[in-house]
Amino acid sequence: MSSPGAPPPPVATLAIDARDVAKTFRAGWLGRRRTPALQGVSLTVGRSVIFGLLGPNGAGKTTLLSILATLLVPDAGTATVLGLDVVRDANALRRRLNMASGRPSFLWSLRVAEIVAFYGRLYGLHGAALARRVDALVEQYELTAYRRTPYNELSTGLKQRVALAKALVNDPELLFLDEPTLGLDPDVSVRVRQHIADLRRERGMTIVLTTHYMREAEELCDEIAFIKDGRILARGTAADLKRQIRLGDVIALKLDPPRLPWLAEAPGVLRLEESDGWVACTVDDAEKRLPELLRAFHAEGVVVRNVQVREPELEEVFVELAR
Amino acid sequence: MSLRAEALAVWAVVLRNTLMGVRNLFFFFELLFWPVVGVLSIGLMTRFLGLTPEQSAFVLVGTIALSVVNVCQLEVAYAMLLDVWSKSVKHQFMAPIGVRHLTVGAWLVGIARGLVIFVLLAVLGRWAFGFALGAPGIAVVGAFLAGCFLTAWIVGVLVCALVTIFGTRAEAFAWASVNLVLVLAGIYYPVSVLPAPMALVAKAIPLTYFLDAYRAHLGFAPEFAAPVATGFALSAVYAVLAHWAFHAAVERARRTGLLLKMSE
Repeated sequence: MSSPGAPPPPVATLAIDARDVAKTFRAGWLGRRRTPALQGVSLTVGRSVIFGLLGPNGAGKTTLLSILATLLVPDAGTATVLGLDVVRDANALRRRLNMASGRPSFLWSLRVAEIVAFYGRLYGLHGAALARRVDALVEQYELTAYRRTPYNELSTGLKQRVALAKALVNDPELLFLDEPTLGLDPDVSVRVRQHIADLRRERGMTIVLTTHYMREAEELCDEIAFIKDGRILARGTAADLKRQIRLGDVIALKLDPPRLPWLAEAPGVLRLEESDGWVACTVDDAEKRLPELLRAFHAEGVVVRNVQVREPELEEVFVELAR
Repeated sequence: MSLRAEALAVWAVVLRNTLMGVRNLFFFFELLFWPVVGVLSIGLMTRFLGLTPEQSAFVLVGTIALSVVNVCQLEVAYAMLLDVWSKSVKHQFMAPIGVRHLTVGAWLVGIARGLVIFVLLAVLGRWAFGFALGAPGIAVVGAFLAGCFLTAWIVGVLVCALVTIFGTRAEAFAWASVNLVLVLAGIYYPVSVLPAPMALVAKAIPLTYFLDAYRAHLGFAPEFAAPVATGFALSAVYAVLAHWAFHAAVERARRTGLLLKMSE
């Protein structure tokens, strides 16, 4: 994993090395209506990391994921995945990748175990090895009770679990997860997230995921890239991003008296919000400003009944970047 | 890809299409209803028109060929259509699978279904109209069936290519394509009765030659020299072209993004 400003890791340790990747979709008569989806994206992802792609709808996340997964050919730029070119070496690469989507679709009449087995055969599994793999995945994703249930009779959450089981059938070195917990019950989401973390920890699997759940990205991802309008706007760890965006820290205060007209003008204070008796004071640097504020309160005879300091949520970073 | 991996990928498609087929009532309907209705209605019409047994056989063998080609080509088209209908195209093409695995696997299932139809209609033709489909001998029937299955494979693969280029808009071609064969390949009449431009097109269809070869054994004068060899040669050329077209269509869909669009 490379951090902002640092040189990228050596090529041999990279799972993904994309350079200036561009893609424009054409529609309409003679393809005259053009929609640029990616505009020169460069990205490196090290091996055995969980990398998150965040961005608003239509930002280019799925397009980038699809190019890296060999489902889409870029118009310009190059991309190597696991050391193989995504266009030239696509066939060899496909054996080592897999993908699960948050809106999974499989053949409606096939049963759960048959779906996993079908894809297993495509990846060269057969006989007892295939049966063992199917059984293990069905059990792992708590699908044992549904193994003979046709796909179209499954709930959204169960379909999602089938997609995850299918995505692991070839024990991929690199796994793409497009909104992996979309539509899952909270308890299942927690287990899926735990399982994603385990895949990296136990098998050293590289995982690239897109998600709309900021907490999921913050909890799982070693590094995050924000995409908007086909460009990567920022990348780094969640903490890096919060620093880069300079949203400031929030000092929440319960004061007596509750309103202080001078507080908004105090040095380092960026914003003030009041609700439920709390004053949320956004400052440039909480470590520096909190002692100053406490001294000022003491000098003015203001009683501080409660104080909490927190960093901005990743969601706030996302909103700021998406603006 | 090793031979074992090739066989496994084809076997995966065979199992998939078979399972989808046996669980779909419509597939059974397609397998039994229309072919039986076709042979019965055409056979009864030959009786009403007072055709000779040879003339009746001429028409009935065409009807049976059409049913066999239709059922088999639909199965080949399902290689792509099943994934389009279920929106699982991206899963399919992210796996290490080539268009050859899809089409050959689906074709094997189509051959099995075509053989069932053939036997069923042969029995029906014998029982209802006294038409002995197997009379010309096993080699002739074998070549005739091979011709039907090859024609079906070519048409089915072309349908797959069209669906991959135009999406579900091209779906109707899967059902309509067989009617082109009906008009042009001499199902109910010798191609010599066609207007000259259409006869030229008929000569480009392999099934025309296989029907001609079979009918020669029923006592009709052959219209072509070496029809079986010509039929197989044409089939080989078209098989390569159809396969190339499907492969090119998939690659195009990877460039245009249609592969993803068909999964949404």
